[in-house]
Amino acid sequence: MITFDRVTKRYPDGTVAVDALSLEIPAGQTMVLVGPSGCGKTTSLRMINRLIEPTEGTILVDGQDVLKAHPAILRRGIGYVIQQTGLFPHRTIEDNIATVPLLNKWSKAKARARSRELMALVGLDENMAKRYPHQLSGGQQQRVGVARALAADPPVLLMDEPFSAVDPIVRASLQDELIRLQGELHKTIVMVTHDVEEAIKVGDLVAVFRPGGHLAQVDSPERLLGAPVDDYVTDFVGFDRGIRRLSFFGAEGLDLDSEAILGESATVADARTLGLPWVLVIDAERRPRGWAAAAELASLPADSRLADAPLAPIGHTFRPGHDSLRSALDATVLSRTERAVGVAPDGTVLGVTTYERLRTAIRAAEEKADAEAAADGPAGAVQ
Amino acid sequence: MNWSQVGPYTADNALLGLLPPLIGLVIALPLGVVCARFRWFYAPVLSLTTLIYAIPSLALFVVLIDYTGLSNETVIIPLALFSLCVLVPNVVDGLRAVPQPVRQAATAMGFGPMRRLVRVELPLAVPVIIAGLRIAVVSSISLASVGQLIGVSSLGYFIVDGFQRDFSEEIYVGIVLIIVLALVCDLLLVGTRRLATPWSRR
Amino acid sequence: MSFISFAWGWLKAPAQWHGPDDIPARILQQLGYSGLSLLIAALIALPLGIWIGHTGRGGVVVVNVANAWRAIPTLGLLVLMVTLIGFGVGAWLIPLVVLAVPPILVNAYEGVAGVDPDLKDAAKGMGMTDVQVIRKVELPVALPLIMLGLRTGAIFVVATATIAAYIGNGGLGLYILSGLSQSNYAEVAGGAVLVVLLALVVQVIFTVLRFLVVPAPLRIQARSDG
Repeated sequence: MITFDRVTKRYPDGTVAVDALSLEIPAGQTMVLVGPSGCGKTTSLRMINRLIEPTEGTILVDGQDVLKAHPAILRRGIGYVIQQTGLFPHRTIEDNIATVPLLNKWSKAKARARSRELMALVGLDENMAKRYPHQLSGGQQQRVGVARALAADPPVLLMDEPFSAVDPIVRASLQDELIRLQGELHKTIVMVTHDVEEAIKVGDLVAVFRPGGHLAQVDSPERLLGAPVDDYVTDFVGFDRGIRRLSFFGAEGLDLDSEAILGESATVADARTLGLPWVLVIDAERRPRGWAAAAELASLPADSRLADAPLAPIGHTFRPGHDSLRSALDATVLSRTERAVGVAPDGTVLGVTTYERLRTAIRAAEEKADAEAAADGPAGAVQ
Repeated sequence: MNWSQVGPYTADNALLGLLPPLIGLVIALPLGVVCARFRWFYAPVLSLTTLIYAIPSLALFVVLIDYTGLSNETVIIPLALFSLCVLVPNVVDGLRAVPQPVRQAATAMGFGPMRRLVRVELPLAVPVIIAGLRIAVVSSISLASVGQLIGVSSLGYFIVDGFQRDFSEEIYVGIVLIIVLALVCDLLLVGTRRLATPWSRR
Repeated sequence: MSFISFAWGWLKAPAQWHGPDDIPARILQQLGYSGLSLLIAALIALPLGIWIGHTGRGGVVVVNVANAWRAIPTLGLLVLMVTLIGFGVGAWLIPLVVLAVPPILVNAYEGVAGVDPDLKDAAKGMGMTDVQVIRKVELPVALPLIMLGLRTGAIFVVATATIAAYIGNGGLGLYILSGLSQSNYAEVAGGAVLVVLLALVVQVIFTVLRFLVVPAPLRIQARSDG
């Protein structure tokens, strides 16, 4: 756990980068510090490993005051990842990763073995071990940077805009990697970014900074989207937050319709008796084949099979146990029939959703989230 | 043309050409480190080295005669001084060229300042330092020949002797040998740099 | 210190300050050789260096050749000239010019080549011709390094002119060399002091010149080795 207690950073020329910041970063979680340029987020981050020293206030890392510890020893217990990676150009990849273990007097063999472990962990091929940083791509270099930070297994990991220098596709995959790693390692991660989307995607908690080094709001991403405390945070979070918030609600709460589904061996007459505008036709394994329109069915012989009828394509499907309400909504919007098919992992049909059903589910999810937030107490807003 | 003299004189010239840069390097490294760290210190040091470098070698050799006689030292000391003048800016530039993120990462990982200097900054400054060393070595080998004018022997002997005896073949030999010696040493330094920096792009 | 007392004694003597071959005359001689050579070297090296820097071609060759150039022994070159073309202006002028060209050339090249390509791009985009780009953009920005190259060239020229006394030229070096041959240490010491003083004065002049010519924002720390 990391605690900021009324921390201020004032420079000799009078600028106040961080103003009486009080913040608690729980252990084993990812806290993302986000805000515009000059808001103090990077300064705050770098006070944790004492690259910058606070003018006032205390910072505690796992109970220890950072100013009381020996700087070099303190830093060996904290991983640090920066945008430009800072990889040593004159060391191979494996020796770069082994830097802190070697500083901690591990044997060369043990340190290199640990390097290989970490390379596998961050998804780097083993044959890159003897290469030099300039021979790797930007995304690969960033992975090495993360591996190097994790080498000595520090409980805390600091990341300063780590993914800002790579292109969006690589960036997205690095973010996914980070989420996966965190799922395995449960480190206390503090990350700085100016990209609120990244903060929402990666963070368990998000701290939004105002210019001048003040906190505006500290909350879970869902709360941030659902209940921004003021106009500044609302603007910062960006428009579309209502829909983006839906990513945090699972689609398992959807009440799926199973009436409008018929096997392909059923007849047109069976479909007509249902009296519904669209009927989902499935095959013998319960996989979706297509949509039959009532209008089309009207002109077909009553005893012909649905399998032979003209069918509209399924469009996008979603997985109720796995995807969010946002995915379900998106699938529905994209379907010509205004209905989305919910499927199980093996591809079999679970049911169908409509806008009506989505509306109900969304309403229920929002009410539940708001009630939980109220029960937790007014945590979000910070003065 | 007495070819048997080539060996000894070449050896003399090599000594006079290689020892001064070495001495200069030994002094320039710590001095450069301090200058790179303290900018206010570097400015006067740089002014001083620039002025010293401007002094013609013959004058410096002659000034030292009073103190070191007509020995090798009389030539070695001024040449070492010149090498120092060349190497200090190279050491400083080389250290300053180490990328900021690399230095910051080293500090953040728990390198103390001394360890960071030795393990990270100096190795990365090696190419620039060797570039300065090349200049110092080539210049020293060439300037050593001027020492012949005060009787300190080097390949300059062939030039002076050839001139006195109006024997142009000997003059050519002297000039060519000096140039060849210098270029060979230069190539050796280039090779050293390649060996010392397996990590740099070709 | 006996060196200083030797030098001082010699310098004070009125004999040095009168007659056709006295100290002021010798200083003028040395300045004459040096100035002329530097001028010619600059006339050759500056346009060449600027053009190579502007076009960007041949730069690597220039730098490597200039480095190799340092290997040429000054004494050897002077003596060689005499054997080839006898005593005369060419015997000292050619070596002085030849040795001064590399630092001026390399610094001019690096100064111009080092101009931010974006600046050149913007200038061309505005419709400037090559010559205009050189005149209005590259030269001003390259000025600090060009001045540095000239200053370094001056160092080489003054040093070579001193040694040129060996092939019979006048100048301050002659005091040193004739003093050595006659074992007149006072003359040697006096000559050396004069040479040092002259070299330093020339450096100061060039430094002041650089200070005056280069606009404040562009002044950078000097390199002494050219």
